[in-house]
Amino acid sequence: MILKNNLKEVRQKNGFTQEELGTNVGVSRQTIISIERYRYKPSLELAMKIANELNMKIEKLFYFA
Amino acid sequence: MALSKKEISILIEIVFSIAFAFIFLPYFYENQDNKLILMDDLIGKIIQISIFTVFYFSVAYSLLELVLRKNETKDERDDMINSKSYKLGYLLYEFSLFILIGYVCSKFQNKELLNLTGNQELYNGFNITDVEIVFLILMLLAFISIVKSLYQFYLYRTV
Repeated sequence: MILKNNLKEVRQKNGFTQEELGTNVGVSRQTIISIERYRYKPSLELAMKIANELNMKIEKLFYFA
Repeated sequence: MALSKKEISILIEIVFSIAFAFIFLPYFYENQDNKLILMDDLIGKIIQISIFTVFYFSVAYSLLELVLRKNETKDERDDMINSKSYKLGYLLYEFSLFILIGYVCSKFQNKELLNLTGNQELYNGFNITDVEIVFLILMLLAFISIVKSLYQFYLYRTV
């Protein structure tokens, strides 16, 4: 099972750039890129911050595939 | 290949370490009997090299901080990459020190063998001066620093 996410689609739907989302949740643009490409698995705290920023439930944003 | 500021600063760190290992240390080593090193005793040489090393890396890292690392966000991904690369550096450092201590011990053992057997050839094969041991440790540290930075760069590109 691989931890995947809808971050790219949801972020674009909410009109955020990677830089803006990163700044709002306190991480760099590179970290957002890594999460979107499934290279980096965020901590629970960061995942919840991102979900909160995008007004989405964490289990809808991150899922196992 | 687009590089982030962090990746560029790691590459510059590698260049600084290579310059230290291949230019600065050999220069000191070759000039150890000339007037560059004023004090003849080993402690004096170590103190001088340490002062130069601290000065060199202070200037190098201050420049890096001022030019590239100003206003940079440090997050959990950076912490994870740093902890992984420092762990590798620490393991390499421990392993190589273990090998070096074994080598130095064998040197002293061979000195004792020389006294017992008078076999000069056997002793010459392992002959290494105290100053050479210090340079060997410094070279080792420089190489470990290069490997650590390369691994850090690799992680930044792949994670």
